[in-house]
Amino acid sequence: MKHLRYFILFVIASITFSCNNFLEVQPQESISDESTITNGSSAETAVRGMYRALASNSYYGSTFQSIGYLSGDNIQWTGSQAIAGQFVNHDVRADNGSVAAVWSAIYTTINRANNVIAKVSTLALEPTFTQEKKDQLVGEAYFVRALAYFDLVRLWGTVPIYLAPTLSINDNHGKAKSSKEEVYAQVLADLKAAETLLPQTTNRIRATRKTVWALRSRYHLYNKEWAAAESYADKVIADQSYNLIAPYSSFFANNAVATQESVFELSYSATNTSSHRGNWQPPQNGGTRQWAPNSEFLALINDPLIGGNRSAMVSSTSDGRWYGNMYYRSPATDPAYVIRIAEIRLIRAEARAQQGKYEDALKDLDAVRERAGLGASSADGKDEIFLAIEQERRLEFAFEPHRWFDLVRTDRAEAVLGLSDRNRYVLPIPIDELKVDPALEPNEGYL
Amino acid sequence: MKTINKILEIKSRTPFSLKLSCLFAICTMIFQHSISYANIIEPAFLKRELGVINIAVAGKVTDANGNSLPGVTVTIKGTNTSTATDLEGNFKFSNQVPENSVITLSLLGFKTKEVVVTNANFLTILLEEDLRQLSEVVVIGYGSQERKDLIGSISKINADEVKQIPVGSFDAQLQGKAAGLQINSNTGIPGEGIFIRVRGTTSINASNDPLYIVDGVFINNSSLQTVSTGGKATSPIADINPADIESVEVLKDASATAIYGARGANGVVIVTTKRGNYNSKAKLGFNATQGIAEAAKIWGQASGPLNAELHNESWINSGIDNPALNQTYANRPFRPVSEGGRGLPEEQQTYDRLGDIFQTARLQSYDLSLQGGSSGTKYYFGAGYTRQEAIMKPVYFNRASFKLNLDQKVNNNIQVGITNSISRTFRNQARAGDGPQGGMFQTALLVATYLPKFNADGTPAKWGPWDNLDVLLNNYDVKTKNIRYIGNVYLDADITPELKFRSSFGIDYNDYNESEYWNSLTLIGASPTNGLATAAVTNNSTWLNEQTLSYRKVFNGDHNFGLLVGNSLQGDLIKSTFAQGTNFPNDSFKKISSAATRIGSDSWTESKLVSFFSRADYNYRSKYYLQLSVRADGSSRFGADNRWGYFPSVGTAWRIKEENFLRDVNFISDLKLRGSFGITGNQNGINNFASRGLWIGGVGYPDNITGGDKPGIAPQQLANPTLRWEKTRQINGGVDLGLWNGRVALELNVYRKYTSDLLIQRPLASSTGFSSYYSNEGEISNTGFELNINTTNIEKGDFQWQTNFNIASNKNVIEKLATPINVYSRDWLRMEEGHPMYSFWLYKQLYVDPQTGDAVFEDVNKDGKITVEDRQLLGNAMPDFFGGISNSFTYKGWDASILFTFQYGNDVFNMNEFFDMAGGTRAERFASANSTKRWQNPGDITDVPRFTTVGNNYRLEQNSRLLEDGSFIRLKQLSIGYSIPKRLLTRFKIEDLRLSFTGSNVLLFTKYSGLDPESNVASSQNVQGLDFGTPPQPRTFQLGINLTL
Repeated sequence: MKHLRYFILFVIASITFSCNNFLEVQPQESISDESTITNGSSAETAVRGMYRALASNSYYGSTFQSIGYLSGDNIQWTGSQAIAGQFVNHDVRADNGSVAAVWSAIYTTINRANNVIAKVSTLALEPTFTQEKKDQLVGEAYFVRALAYFDLVRLWGTVPIYLAPTLSINDNHGKAKSSKEEVYAQVLADLKAAETLLPQTTNRIRATRKTVWALRSRYHLYNKEWAAAESYADKVIADQSYNLIAPYSSFFANNAVATQESVFELSYSATNTSSHRGNWQPPQNGGTRQWAPNSEFLALINDPLIGGNRSAMVSSTSDGRWYGNMYYRSPATDPAYVIRIAEIRLIRAEARAQQGKYEDALKDLDAVRERAGLGASSADGKDEIFLAIEQERRLEFAFEPHRWFDLVRTDRAEAVLGLSDRNRYVLPIPIDELKVDPALEPNEGYL
Repeated sequence: MKTINKILEIKSRTPFSLKLSCLFAICTMIFQHSISYANIIEPAFLKRELGVINIAVAGKVTDANGNSLPGVTVTIKGTNTSTATDLEGNFKFSNQVPENSVITLSLLGFKTKEVVVTNANFLTILLEEDLRQLSEVVVIGYGSQERKDLIGSISKINADEVKQIPVGSFDAQLQGKAAGLQINSNTGIPGEGIFIRVRGTTSINASNDPLYIVDGVFINNSSLQTVSTGGKATSPIADINPADIESVEVLKDASATAIYGARGANGVVIVTTKRGNYNSKAKLGFNATQGIAEAAKIWGQASGPLNAELHNESWINSGIDNPALNQTYANRPFRPVSEGGRGLPEEQQTYDRLGDIFQTARLQSYDLSLQGGSSGTKYYFGAGYTRQEAIMKPVYFNRASFKLNLDQKVNNNIQVGITNSISRTFRNQARAGDGPQGGMFQTALLVATYLPKFNADGTPAKWGPWDNLDVLLNNYDVKTKNIRYIGNVYLDADITPELKFRSSFGIDYNDYNESEYWNSLTLIGASPTNGLATAAVTNNSTWLNEQTLSYRKVFNGDHNFGLLVGNSLQGDLIKSTFAQGTNFPNDSFKKISSAATRIGSDSWTESKLVSFFSRADYNYRSKYYLQLSVRADGSSRFGADNRWGYFPSVGTAWRIKEENFLRDVNFISDLKLRGSFGITGNQNGINNFASRGLWIGGVGYPDNITGGDKPGIAPQQLANPTLRWEKTRQINGGVDLGLWNGRVALELNVYRKYTSDLLIQRPLASSTGFSSYYSNEGEISNTGFELNINTTNIEKGDFQWQTNFNIASNKNVIEKLATPINVYSRDWLRMEEGHPMYSFWLYKQLYVDPQTGDAVFEDVNKDGKITVEDRQLLGNAMPDFFGGISNSFTYKGWDASILFTFQYGNDVFNMNEFFDMAGGTRAERFASANSTKRWQNPGDITDVPRFTTVGNNYRLEQNSRLLEDGSFIRLKQLSIGYSIPKRLLTRFKIEDLRLSFTGSNVLLFTKYSGLDPESNVASSQNVQGLDFGTPPQPRTFQLGINLTL
């Protein structure tokens, strides 16, 4: 009797069930990539994921923006990571981690946009997923892709263009870099596609047709197509939803978000925070103060006749250390300002001046000055007006990614920064990218 | 015929059995046969056959203490006839023993004894315990063997020898105790993870830790920590109370590890905990130790005046190097206050912070055990409590544990048992590692000494990116509570004396509970965060079900054959819940429910493994050995194409001593050659879903400004359906030599491991939108030798002196790696094809120009510039060889032991010096006392360049100047004990009373200028040899008492 019992135990213990069923474990936090963009609501989630990439910390969340202002002449490096200092000193090396992070973040954004463009375009319509909605989602993806390639070309000059989603490890590498002109042509093509697809509504944190106009205005400015730059700026400025609000700090102080100032800004939440404030704020406020306004800039911004009420963007600690205070919130939900109406005003000022419309140019310039609590510009004559616009941009966008691109675009980097090596006007292609993708050539002067 | 009758008899008595199938009947027959064979008792009588008198023989076998020994094999020499002693140690042969024949008695762990049988009297036979290695029982995968029969390379460590070293986890105690087992402690924080390698590093992304098996349960050994302690992680092994451990076996070569298949590539550590003995009286043991721990050395710091002077010097030098900086003598920071400066250097005070953070720590531990057994039951009960303070405030580690092992004989053939251990560890943690905020060590170490602790208004002063040290000391609140259960139940059935069945079910359950609270005085919780609290609960459960069937029989007295087949099923689940709150009403509110802003998340991951395994072994007259094993593992981690892996091994041995030509060579007591080859795998440590193409959620974004975040998805990972295991081929050759009756025992192993199909996160061009994907492509080799020598130097009367010496060398080479992989911040380490793992990637500083004081670096590509192309792989964090030497002495009641451990040829990057002697590039930093070695005047010969923030002197962060030789010899443990003579104790009914003194890390001999060459900044498996912000291993002294009743 008792032996039998153990025999039964033996039999039970020996039961093995189908191994392959046993081994099928499905993830719960992620989903298989075959079942992603399948209907209207999943298309919307994919578009949101795309914006999150645009807003990621390596892109507009901080690093991309920081390259834009660190490389100018307003900021000094005060932290422990020497890679930030390389931008200030215009001695950026191919192994700079921030350069690699931005390159990767922009292409990640592009891949998400490519997924939306390729997959949402083929979705069937549903009662809740109208043609209008579908156009809007695809249009947003075209806009984001345009912005991404625009940022790539102004940082690196020549970059490879990929327009289809990466579905397997063999996709989207191994292609030579396209010329600067080709990349700009792609930006324009995407902007045009977005313009027709997007509705003419106001949404300050997502792309609409008006956002496209604003970016086109900037696009034409960079390409020295002054008339086009002016006319697209006109369209935005004419829209009643966008206004310069006074004082300057109104668009960021007191936890303001999506003010009338913003044509396009990126939104953050307690869950999706921005690392911007951490780099700016001093340790007393829980930051690392990786960089801070330099003394030359402080002298300007704190001069009531030059900086005006824009001095609100800087602050100092009890022990007398100055720090940038545009990004300050806790949790770190400071928006990333991508396009403000002040920029559109100054674009139009510059475009008008380039076309000899000096009076009109000064009107736009003075509008921005007035908002900063300053009197009308005393600039007179072509050269002075250009310098005045340049100076205004320097102060107005000191903590946004403009100064460096402005100096390069207007060919003033040598005069202002003493940077005679023109190869340094673009960044090195990250060394790790050169290693994994032999089709990439290093930028001239690097390696 | 009799057997058949018996079956019928049973059948007729048992209605149950009538219903059973034919299959059952056959099995029953096997059972019955075995029972009848053992139980038939017939009257003894003499029988005369062909002139030989056959007699009946009976007897009892005991050990030296008079305890009866069950399970002793009693064989009539020259025949196949054998029996075993019963529970009371009795055996009996019927009338089958020729008079004057010899019976042999053997039992694992005892010296085999031969007795001449003269007539049919009752024999009382005493077996002596065999303390020599040859008959030592060694646990192998799914079984055990005597050392003389071992084919594989296995080190056995007697846990008692090192368990007084006060560290949290038993593996940290094993340094220098087993040849080829490399252990670096990484930090002096008790209960934190260590660096452990068995025969080198085989993997980059999968785990390199050995497989840990505790009483048959494959336990989790990766930290569940989620809060940041500056890159460090706790050790799950610290949940196990070393006092409960009986022995630790380290399985090294393929013939030993291949039976563990996909998890065997990094060796296997088998832990056996204590169990009772049948028929032994209850034994109560109590151990207590009390002690202190201290830092043997702390960093030298420049005084406040010197620190200020250095600051000025750097300021002025930088101004000379780059006039645009406008830094001159006139505006130097430390100029008279009247000139607007901070006062002259000599006016500066010196504020010592290191003294505030180090403490003489207290250590205590208490263990209580009770073990014994009756004829059918044996038990071990253990309870322990330990509290170890770190030498750094406010860190401490507590563990309370409880253990119950129980075995019950159901009848002569069946035994069931249960193993339970439950422990609760509590850790008061602090960041001793990288990262400024809340960084306990950094705050104490890196703030310049001239900076006061308080502001003029009396508020705590914060400098640079650091907290105020006093604020941290008074407000640190990072706590971890962990409940761990490890246990299993088993059933053993002897189907026949040769055929045994075992089934077991084991569980490793871990509930890891963390909380941290940063109030508004700390940087992390400062305004505008207004307090930050996190809570995380991580649950890890592993279950394991195994069946084995083993068969062993000696055919014709010469052919010893064994076979094992088995299967196992395993599941592993990790669930984690995390919550964080910020914006607290005030510092009295500490729980997330009071916070204005709250976020939370949870995560889940699971993996499963199905395995079948088998091992066959054969030896001819204990002379020629052959062993084959194979395991098939199916894992849920891999794609359908490569789900199953097969891991075979073959091992052979030739025990030359048993050959006729050596049998009579007396001074050679053993000589054995061994050889093995096999394949093992590795899948640990990689993501459970690494082979799939995946999209993640959680990347939300609003649709409009009022709506808040709405859900978003994004591509996360590209699929690789062909992903498979890492595979390690290993070949091992070994010699075991015993001399002079085992007084010298030498074991030498030479091996080569070659790992292919490395799970590499292959970098992918970022233009794909992905940074990498998992693929099998790299290859790594490890080649080395291990030598272990045990000697009994003196064994005279009451005095005994024994020595163990072990040394091992491992050469690691990355044989194939498509793209180099950089490791840690500033890429100080780099993995590159043709070079070993843990190589440093640096600019080589050739010298400091005596005229200019500028560092001159090697321009490798001779392009006249120092660029990233000039970085080279210089030095390596792995030693050329390492090992230990221990001596133990006993004289009457006294015992003493001394253990030295050593490493030679490992390099350490002195990252503390990198931050502390930064030439002024890091303002307001503490300056190392070594700053006095800097270049100051033309003609100075030094390797410390002129202080300046300009140029390469200190801006080049990967300077070979900071790479130092980390070789060391450490007096790891020193202990002296005295056992009170028994005659004084019997009056008090005390069996044993021992008093002891133990010192650990008593001395350290090294050229390394830092505190401890074993320090390492992070727990990441690919980081070694970066010394930063880590307290050294403490020097400890303890007094102990062991009491046995």
